[in-house]
Amino acid sequence: MHLPHSTLKQEFVKKWIMGLQRCKFSNKKMSIFERKKAIKLSADTAMASARKGLTCWSRALISNPDRPVPTTTRRASSACKKIVKRSRRIRRTAKCGAARKGQITRSIAQCLVRKRTQILKSLIPGGEFMNEVCLIEETLDYITSLRVQVDVMRSLASASAHN
Amino acid sequence: MESNAGTTETRSNVTVPDGGEVAAFESLQFTDEIHRLISAPGTDNASSFTALLELPATQVVELLHSPESVKLIVASAPNVEDFKGSFHFPSNTGLIQKDARFSVFSGEGNNKNEKSNSPEMTSKNSSANLEKAVKSEPAETVSSLPLVSDPTMENRNIKRKDREKKVKGSTKKSKTATNERLEDAEKLPYVHVRARRGQATDSHSLAERARREKINARMKLLQELVPGCNKISGTALVLDEIINHVQSLQRQVEFLSMRLATVNPRIDFNLDSLFTPESGSTMDGGNFPSLVTPLIWPDVQVNGYRQQFQHQWHFDTLKQPIWGREEVCNNYVTLENSLLSCDSSANSATLHANQLKMEL
Repeated sequence: MHLPHSTLKQEFVKKWIMGLQRCKFSNKKMSIFERKKAIKLSADTAMASARKGLTCWSRALISNPDRPVPTTTRRASSACKKIVKRSRRIRRTAKCGAARKGQITRSIAQCLVRKRTQILKSLIPGGEFMNEVCLIEETLDYITSLRVQVDVMRSLASASAHN
Repeated sequence: MESNAGTTETRSNVTVPDGGEVAAFESLQFTDEIHRLISAPGTDNASSFTALLELPATQVVELLHSPESVKLIVASAPNVEDFKGSFHFPSNTGLIQKDARFSVFSGEGNNKNEKSNSPEMTSKNSSANLEKAVKSEPAETVSSLPLVSDPTMENRNIKRKDREKKVKGSTKKSKTATNERLEDAEKLPYVHVRARRGQATDSHSLAERARREKINARMKLLQELVPGCNKISGTALVLDEIINHVQSLQRQVEFLSMRLATVNPRIDFNLDSLFTPESGSTMDGGNFPSLVTPLIWPDVQVNGYRQQFQHQWHFDTLKQPIWGREEVCNNYVTLENSLLSCDSSANSATLHANQLKMEL
């Protein structure tokens, strides 16, 4: 389900404002990090509910809003991937010594793609339970929603910093 | 008839038949059977069968005559042999017409499908895709054709592999894969996927290929969505870009929420200039300045932010009916504050949405 950009924005804004109202009053004293978390939480929940339960990631995000912050860089994981790839290649050629080159490259490519789909699954909320087709559709939707969220927040921040 | 059938079968397995026997064919009722079958009413069940038989018997004979290669003969021979195979049964024509749906010939055609393809392809290119239909056919044909002798089938099996390679270079007009099983062109309720040249045709690989095509279509959409992915080829690299994009968007959300958390609550909004074009259409008369706070907030630190909230909240509930008369202030609080002052969240939401719409 791909909503047009503007309606999605309006939906998101509506829900976010309501969420912000709610969470502002729950805690009297908040540190800055808690505020940030509260804002992010409200934004994420608003984003997810703006999809009205049509997508898998939105339901997963609402049910489990605390997601680990992406801290690991890609460099480390790619280095690990290379090591794994090399070891597997060696093992595979040892196993089937007469294997053709095409097979080896194909298996390496499959291995790469598999690694990346694993990473993507860890990124998309609720992605571990999807098959590949669903994963790609959810990614599409999630990217558009994230863009809307970023746009709204950025405009809000710039507007508030404009004075 | 059976003796002739036997001879023709053996002949087809071996070499080019000589003309004498072909002529003998014609003299038999065999060709009469063929003609009768050709002219049989074309029900949907028998459509493939009649399409099979569109090739008139004379052409079949000519093909039999042609010394070009074994494949052509065998390609055409099944048209002849299929009849013979069916003639083993007492009720040939009835069986053929009744079971054409389940492709009587597919039983034998399991072994020589590609042979039957070439004459067929000229006639029916469009409807010939039977990936999952293939599954049903062998089951039925096995049950319906128990009498087909095994040695002949085995011979055909052996020859099929050779023919598969030869047929690829065939000069026939068939454009689609000659490995396709075209015995049955029925409109079964299955997904029709065209098997391409040189690709396996068993149901598993076909289903997997359909799935891969779905995935590839969606990957193309993703490539268009993510900037800079159009020029990249290769699934792994595209996935890399997508992952980077998603991670960057998520990090942006984090940063922006942190930035919003530190925002100074004192903001100057020129709300009236934003709202006057919208006021008549979207807002109630009394709620027009609802986004305008009646108070002038002093500069406060972040810690004082929350106290303002509560203060504002209590104040606004008291001042609810007076808002219609408030004038626009120069100092505005953040949007959150101003919205909290509104009496109905729905109104505020629409107003805020409109305002942001103007901004965005």
